[in-house]
Amino acid sequence: MEWSLLAQGGLNGVMLGVNYALIALGLTLIFGILGIVNFTHGEMYMLGGYVAYYFFGHFGLNFFATLALSAVLVGALGVILEKFIFRPLTKRPKLELTSLIAAVGLAWVFQMLAIIAFGDLDKNVPSAFKGILRMSGVVITVERLATIIIGLCLVVLLNVFLLKSKTGMTIRAVAQDKEAAALQGVSVDRITALTFGIGCGLAAISGALIAPIFGISPNMGGEVILKAFLVVILGGMGSVPGAMLGGLVLGFVESFGCLFFSVPTVMVLTFSIIILILILKPKGLLGHA
Amino acid sequence: MILDVKGVDVNYGKVAAVRNVSFSVSKGSIVALIGANGAGKSTILKTISGLEPCNAGEISFQGQRINGLSPQEIVKQGISHVPEGRRLFPEMTVGENLSMGAYLRKWGGDTKNDLDAIFEYFPVLKQRIRQKAGSLSGGEQQMVAIGRALMSSPKLLLLDEPSTGLSPIMSQTIAKIIRVINEKQVSILLVEQNANLALTIADSGYVLETGSVVLEGNAQQLLKDEAVKSAYLGI
Repeated sequence: MEWSLLAQGGLNGVMLGVNYALIALGLTLIFGILGIVNFTHGEMYMLGGYVAYYFFGHFGLNFFATLALSAVLVGALGVILEKFIFRPLTKRPKLELTSLIAAVGLAWVFQMLAIIAFGDLDKNVPSAFKGILRMSGVVITVERLATIIIGLCLVVLLNVFLLKSKTGMTIRAVAQDKEAAALQGVSVDRITALTFGIGCGLAAISGALIAPIFGISPNMGGEVILKAFLVVILGGMGSVPGAMLGGLVLGFVESFGCLFFSVPTVMVLTFSIIILILILKPKGLLGHA
Repeated sequence: MILDVKGVDVNYGKVAAVRNVSFSVSKGSIVALIGANGAGKSTILKTISGLEPCNAGEISFQGQRINGLSPQEIVKQGISHVPEGRRLFPEMTVGENLSMGAYLRKWGGDTKNDLDAIFEYFPVLKQRIRQKAGSLSGGEQQMVAIGRALMSSPKLLLLDEPSTGLSPIMSQTIAKIIRVINEKQVSILLVEQNANLALTIADSGYVLETGSVVLEGNAQQLLKDEAVKSAYLGI
């Protein structure tokens, strides 16, 4: 085995990992604040992909502007979903399961609507970055490198926002204790809607970012939501650093696995490793007891 | 009167938690609400701060009706609530917890002065400022909870069971600080199971039983009252 092949696997692992982390971060933020698993998250990712297909691929909008637009459009959709569907359900106690079913149902609705609106065939999105980089035998497309860098920048930005800004601090406070946050004068409903919007926006950006590499289809969210859910559980439900670490772990395991084994074997290995980790650490890698 | 509670009912579903309760807090005073577990003391505080809806009666603060307002608006008017069990943000630092208390204020000279005052009351918090609130001892957590409430610069402070889970010495320390805070023109409504502690520092007191006021008066008189002694002071 040549080391350049390993380096290649590592780079692919980082790319997948950053993408998983972006989706999982949104999911974990929403779980932290609403206590529900947002199963429509994969569909927000899918919609991000279609924003890239139409605005970047067809209307020729700048790629970075397309990424921002996907976050804004899908983020706004998230705010609407939270206000009209999830808020009425989560306001009543002991309805977590109902919210979960509502989210699963909504995911189906969005998938079917996407088939009706966009057709059920896979679509290609043109590359936003051209060229190939060679460094001592390691070959990577500029496109993949750019995807890694943009993804990492977004992860860093989100962390700075959560840790350093007043709004970020307020989101953390609401996630830890809603009633105590309300007693400090926080409008908990507003922060919850905002967090839902940010989470959905992150999923959309990752969908738009990865669209030129993997292509898009109405059911692209289905596989990704399972993986993101896995990453969130692996890292620890509601934990932001956990989602990042979990994303990278899953990305590396998949990418290196594919160097040595067939895809089904990799799937078996991935899930076995994750089940093993969870047996050893039931609260996830960075979860709180 | 800074706070006037008149004929207030609070129901949890079909169960009446508070029935026709009336009391008042005069400006600059400490008023104690005492009574056994489940007497409705915490519910009254939550209703004042807008966390629980008031089903009948009226609550007015500085002459203005406040029942029906959101917790946010009530904090803005100058009422700050230290909830039962402290309810800090455990994964956030002491500094972040304190700045959450000033959520509705602009950070500047006034908030810095308030922060300095809090470090004067509780010098240990200055050393703990970068520590996670959840890692502190019970007494230190109570200090953060009171400090956080003071960061909104309240005119009325609602304290729910500040002595619960604390050593007798720590309870005395907290009691002393409550008096110091009160001397700086902050009116205080204190809910306590430790009736002795509460009545020692309060000006007046109300005794609650199953959601209703059964006795009221000057704190010193209540301390000497035979019924209070046998029921709540364990004498």
